[in-house]
Amino acid sequence: MTTLASDRFDGRQAGSSGERLAGDYIDAELRRIGVLPLPGRPDLFMPFEFTAGSRDGGSIMSVTRIAGSTTTFRGAKDIQALSFSDDAEVTAPAVFAGYGLVVPESQGVGYDSYAALDVTDKVVVVLRYFPEDAEPRLRSILARYADLRYKALAARQRGARALVVVTGPRSPNSGQVVPMTFDTALAGSGIAAASVSDDVAAALFAGAATTLSATQQDLDSGNPHVAGIALTSTVTIKTSVVRERQTARNVIGYLPATTQAAEDKPWVVVGAHYDHLGHGDQGTSLASKDDAGQIHHGADDNASGTAAVIALAEALAEYPRRRNVLIALWSAEEIGLVGSSAFVNTPPVPVNQIAAYLNFDMVGRMSDNKLVVQAAGTSPVWGRALERANVAAGFDLTVQPDPYLPTDSASFNQAEIVSLNFTTGSHADYHKPSDTADKISFEDLDRVVEFAAAIVRATADAEQAPPFTKVDQPASRGGSIAGVRVTTGTIPDYATEAKGLLLGGVIGGGPADQAGLMKGDIIVEIAGQSIANIYDYTYALELLKVNQPVKVVYTRMGVRRETALTPGARR
Amino acid sequence: MLLFTAMFTVHAVRALPALAGVLLATATLVSQAPLQERDFLSRVRRLTIEGRRAGEGYWSSDGRRLVFQSEREPGNPFYQIYALDLASGDAVRISPGMGKTTCAFFRPGSDEILFASTHHDPKSKQYQQEEIDFRASGKERRYAWDYDPEMEIYSYAEKTRAYARLTSARGYDAEASYSPDGQWVAFSSMRDAYNRSLSIAEQKQLEVDPSYFGEIYLMRADGSGQRRLTNVIGYDGGPFFSPDGTRIVWRRFDEAGLIANVWTMKLDGTDQRQITDFGSMSWAPYIHPSGRYIIFASNKLGFENFELFMVDIDGRKEPVRVTYTEGFDGLPVPSPDGTQLAWTATRAGGSQGQIFLAQWNHEKALAALAAAPEKARSR
Repeated sequence: MTTLASDRFDGRQAGSSGERLAGDYIDAELRRIGVLPLPGRPDLFMPFEFTAGSRDGGSIMSVTRIAGSTTTFRGAKDIQALSFSDDAEVTAPAVFAGYGLVVPESQGVGYDSYAALDVTDKVVVVLRYFPEDAEPRLRSILARYADLRYKALAARQRGARALVVVTGPRSPNSGQVVPMTFDTALAGSGIAAASVSDDVAAALFAGAATTLSATQQDLDSGNPHVAGIALTSTVTIKTSVVRERQTARNVIGYLPATTQAAEDKPWVVVGAHYDHLGHGDQGTSLASKDDAGQIHHGADDNASGTAAVIALAEALAEYPRRRNVLIALWSAEEIGLVGSSAFVNTPPVPVNQIAAYLNFDMVGRMSDNKLVVQAAGTSPVWGRALERANVAAGFDLTVQPDPYLPTDSASFNQAEIVSLNFTTGSHADYHKPSDTADKISFEDLDRVVEFAAAIVRATADAEQAPPFTKVDQPASRGGSIAGVRVTTGTIPDYATEAKGLLLGGVIGGGPADQAGLMKGDIIVEIAGQSIANIYDYTYALELLKVNQPVKVVYTRMGVRRETALTPGARR
Repeated sequence: MLLFTAMFTVHAVRALPALAGVLLATATLVSQAPLQERDFLSRVRRLTIEGRRAGEGYWSSDGRRLVFQSEREPGNPFYQIYALDLASGDAVRISPGMGKTTCAFFRPGSDEILFASTHHDPKSKQYQQEEIDFRASGKERRYAWDYDPEMEIYSYAEKTRAYARLTSARGYDAEASYSPDGQWVAFSSMRDAYNRSLSIAEQKQLEVDPSYFGEIYLMRADGSGQRRLTNVIGYDGGPFFSPDGTRIVWRRFDEAGLIANVWTMKLDGTDQRQITDFGSMSWAPYIHPSGRYIIFASNKLGFENFELFMVDIDGRKEPVRVTYTEGFDGLPVPSPDGTQLAWTATRAGGSQGQIFLAQWNHEKALAALAAAPEKARSR
């Protein structure tokens, strides 16, 4: 574990030489234990391609007025392709479609920006985000369909040839182009899509019956019946996205069944991701200004889980087993579960032959004997299995049913495979260079391995594979973070169950910090919305507005307190 | 030994306004001592995981097993009794699987386990289905323990798998425990409501809350020689023997069911002594195997905030707070060697209890009790 988190592996960023070295190290460890390549494969490496980053490849847009004058825009200040855009060149009349929002009828809200608008073969111009002044319940629904990918899909399905996004004068980040966000998709989404500046918007609206500002004002009430308007211009747009493709490697092998394999799903999979953030220059680093760009060691995230899986393989190799145990160390988890998704999408063993998947993500920071086991709702057998194994292991176990997790077990749940995730929870060093090996509780890590080994053995030896239960995704989640345009600077503590949102920390200088909130506080109400859990909190965030202070009620050491928090803009 | 949910719900509605006043009055008595939970409890952990809820865990005399009640089987939404092997983690069902059960206890020096059950009631299946349908309807109720008059005490012999019925009087018979020599059973019964003619006021009382008639009884382990030990209006329940077998500790509610206190008495019902005086619900007492102190639960700090406390065996000093964690903590039971504590808590989140286990620091407990102030008379 200490080796994996050392400087030598340089933060193990997917596709980097540090990741290759780490993969070689894991390969050697697994072979030492006796882990074999999967049937028909020469070695333990399973490479896959991914998009390591994307940038605009020189998108251009020209606006031609009916009168004949043409203005051309180029450069990142005025036009930038959206990261999921196709490379395309389109010339077509422009039409303005409000916020470009379509809410499915199932939501019980009639909102369709395209209701009275024919956009076939047109360039559709829409506002970013969703109506600013709609009443909270409507806002919360609209927010879920405001993701730009969703807007592009809606436009494409209605026959539009391109989507142009404008950040309205009444919205946060007004007039600015949308930054190229990180997107791991290997290809475009089937439509040309770009965002443009307020100068471009002005050119588009020149000669229209109304101004963009006035139109947005009408739309912001949330009234869906504000009609779209034809713009008196023709647009030529050329979009180009350069996607940098790289190769990363999952390290995968197996311990074959020692007796005649069980007939009912003869594979059990245990895994952990071994990649981390490198030097943290790809978005999800939480390093402060002072230590930005340093090696992100990822000792807990997830050298700890990697070491646990290797130790687990070593322990399991000692015992007879009725199922094959597949050992998987994933890469490219940190950029969107890419390695485990690649496995599930092109599985080396049929997914319907996998009895269960056990995942280990951040298992090295145990405190007060607390261990969290997530995704326990994926099978009715887990309650008894966990109870039984924990009688001997003796953890203060928190058991959470939810399988919709930001870790590789989610890829397996998606494929309807029974799963579990083990974690000791987040902490102040999460995604920072300071997540180092000296802070790992090695003794407790060994106990986690022993505990998990008992569960794997019970699963591997059972006659019947555990039945899969599909857990419903909490309704209030929907598009979640896509609709959230504000930041509060809070770091939720996912490990500890609390009635409210327990803070594992606050981002220094962020809104929560400025409001006097700190680690250990439990937020129970924000902007009049009571908060019972992380989902309530995410839901409430959709209702906040930038720079508008809201009341936050929280408990600290059991004492109820209040403060005012002023949300900032998320970019 | 009464289920904590029952405790909660039966008295909740009527107790609130009166209790608020009591809490104000006692607020100034809250200890300022800088003690905390980890002084007494270490390696805290959740023991039961399977099923909707579990509670009332009691140790076998060798400390290797725990018997408890849990809702964990499809088809029966009510508690059944399980015995958990603390070495292997295997849990086996002890009760027949049908009807409602509660409050089990290992018989020392034998393979028998007692518990209370309604499985002989021909309507058991019907009640199970009604409860399943009710829950499926999505409605919520504050689950009320109904003091089913069909509840009777049984013993189960593990070797022969035979059940023996120990009580038959109409009225709730439950909350039973064996004496340390295994020869006696103390229990709570509401038979007084059914074996005589009631006044109109009493009749009304029975409809609202049968627990008003709860009294402590004693019988031999075979069910013979049943005799009544208490004779005070209000719910007397949850009796357990002292480690030397000479006394019984139990909790007594006042007539209104608002306030409960811990009491002890001799086996013949004489020498009844009140140990606690918080003016709140103090209940579920259990004597530590050292015989020196009683661990119990009280909502002294807030109506829905039950915490564990302990008090010296004679109640001379102020009780000392044991738990400091949000949610319900109750039904404490120390292991026979006195080094561990099993109790029922909601500290893992949600409103449904599960059994927790921790190392118990007996030395620190003795020191804290010695340092506790002399009891102040609050009322």
